[in-house]
Amino acid sequence: MSTHTVQRTKRANGTSSRPERNTDYVRVGLWIALAMTMLIWAMPLIFVIFTSLKSESAIFSTSSFALPGSAEWSNYTEAIETGNLLTAGGNSLLIAAIKVPLGLLFAAAAAFGLSRIRFKHSRLLLGAFALGSMVPIQVALGPLFKTILDLGLLNHPAGVILPYIGFGLPIQIFILHGFFSAIPREIDESVRVDGGGNWRLFWQIILPLSKPALAALFILDFVATWNEYAIALVILQDQAAQTIPLAIQGFQSQFTSSYGPLNAFTIMSILPVLIVYLLFQRYFVQGMFTGAVKG
Amino acid sequence: MSKITATRLPPPPVLDAQRTSKKPFARRIAKGGFIAALPFLAPALAAYVVFVIGPMVSAVRLSLYEWSGFNSDPQVFVGFDNYVRLFTQDPVFWTAMQNTIVWVLLSLVIPTTLGLVMALALNRPIFGRNLFRSVFYIPGVLAPIAIANMWRWMYNPNYGVFSEISEFLGIGDGSGATFLSDPKLAIYAIFAAFVWQIAGLNMVLFLAGLQSVSKELVESARLDGANNWNVFRHITLPALRPTIIVVLVLTIVHSIKVFDLVVGMTGGGPAQSSQVLALWSYSQSFLQHDFGMGNAIAAVLLGITLVLVIPYLIWSSKGNED
Repeated sequence: MSTHTVQRTKRANGTSSRPERNTDYVRVGLWIALAMTMLIWAMPLIFVIFTSLKSESAIFSTSSFALPGSAEWSNYTEAIETGNLLTAGGNSLLIAAIKVPLGLLFAAAAAFGLSRIRFKHSRLLLGAFALGSMVPIQVALGPLFKTILDLGLLNHPAGVILPYIGFGLPIQIFILHGFFSAIPREIDESVRVDGGGNWRLFWQIILPLSKPALAALFILDFVATWNEYAIALVILQDQAAQTIPLAIQGFQSQFTSSYGPLNAFTIMSILPVLIVYLLFQRYFVQGMFTGAVKG
Repeated sequence: MSKITATRLPPPPVLDAQRTSKKPFARRIAKGGFIAALPFLAPALAAYVVFVIGPMVSAVRLSLYEWSGFNSDPQVFVGFDNYVRLFTQDPVFWTAMQNTIVWVLLSLVIPTTLGLVMALALNRPIFGRNLFRSVFYIPGVLAPIAIANMWRWMYNPNYGVFSEISEFLGIGDGSGATFLSDPKLAIYAIFAAFVWQIAGLNMVLFLAGLQSVSKELVESARLDGANNWNVFRHITLPALRPTIIVVLVLTIVHSIKVFDLVVGMTGGGPAQSSQVLALWSYSQSFLQHDFGMGNAIAAVLLGITLVLVIPYLIWSSKGNED
């Protein structure tokens, strides 16, 4: 409303402020376009939330756009009771709680070795790691299954944690290598003059200085681990060992037409990630930023 | 062997003195060499070799064998038979290949342009900017399998929103619109969900890239009378070049990997019309128990990825040395 008035006044003022007036029109048009796009973008989530709160008869008789009359929370309780949500949630949490810090530590150590210690062919090794971040996981699924089978880790959390660490390393090493390389080398000098070795440099200097990058990678990796499907699909075949993505797919194929509970299940499965996103929003952008700048 | 001995031999003292005196102090006392780096590299190297490189090499090896995937069954060497069968007797492989190629080409244009437009629109103070950014980005953090289920519901032929919309617009025969069960449409219907998932991701990358556009340059160009398009074409776009390349490479990588969305929405159907290479490889290995074929497809996938990605890696490592 107020923008509208502003435009009117400007138009009345005559042609002196012509460029500004144009900018104003452009701005308002842009904002409306953005708002409409945002509405479209939010729609899938809104429909799922609506459906998850509707009774079966309401789903069949009302429009997808219609607000749920009275919230049908029984969809949620039914989804929890009939689905594998709690077991799968526990498994996913356990796997992420071990994988994310351990993988990040491995990646940080390797990035330190590659960026702060000089040795022949370190760039080539970095390239070999970088390559791994590009190759689709599915290329390795068959043999990976056999490796885990031979290790006796099928249906065991460690059976996915180990490959998750392997596949998570390349991009983390690549990003951390960029971050570590930006820390001035004079710091190394002062540590070494004091008689400190590589370990001290790593633990007491480089790691604490890299907290922002580590935090960003921690959050991004938590989300990626929580969402991973392909490896879990071949390794975790028992229902008791399932992670959240497997439970979603299991619920979907088992209760194809109970739309209310199905959508309630989807909402509950993405809730942890949504909360993590809302709490740590700035880290997402930061993490992406670090990665993008490094290329 | 000889190399290790060579490095252990102390260099002639005179030479050593000359060399060290030229080096900066820190580097002289730095504990360098591969042996010093090894403890830091070992855990990552072990995990990477055993669970990433090893299985990939195995995939190429197994593509030359006939095997059910069960340890109790023997692996029989058959040479290139699997590849011959794949290229000549497997029509689904070619459908999957075509879908993967179409997917990569479409995603190089649609979600990238959309992400760039979103970033350009949101790279200025505008009311509700953070809300816009969040809403555009959030699909990117959701599990693809959850996204598949959300969209599958929206495509529901009887009660889904797309059916409702097409009924409202008078498209179709009124018996409920089909998207995922139409062999011609299914792959594009899944692709729409992919655009929704990935456009915000590209937006964030472009927003990061836009921070490197020189504000002074833009201002002086405007003073010289350049319009929006000229500024974009001659200042913004050149500055975004590295970002654009990163986005395109990531897009290719994401597109080749597409798996969860297809599994969750169609499973490759109807009649394998929405198959993609990554899923067809999995289906052959784990559903048909034909590890030879499955790994032959995996090897093809690996080959395609390397051909597309290695030029980028070479380019980026050269860029970093400058």
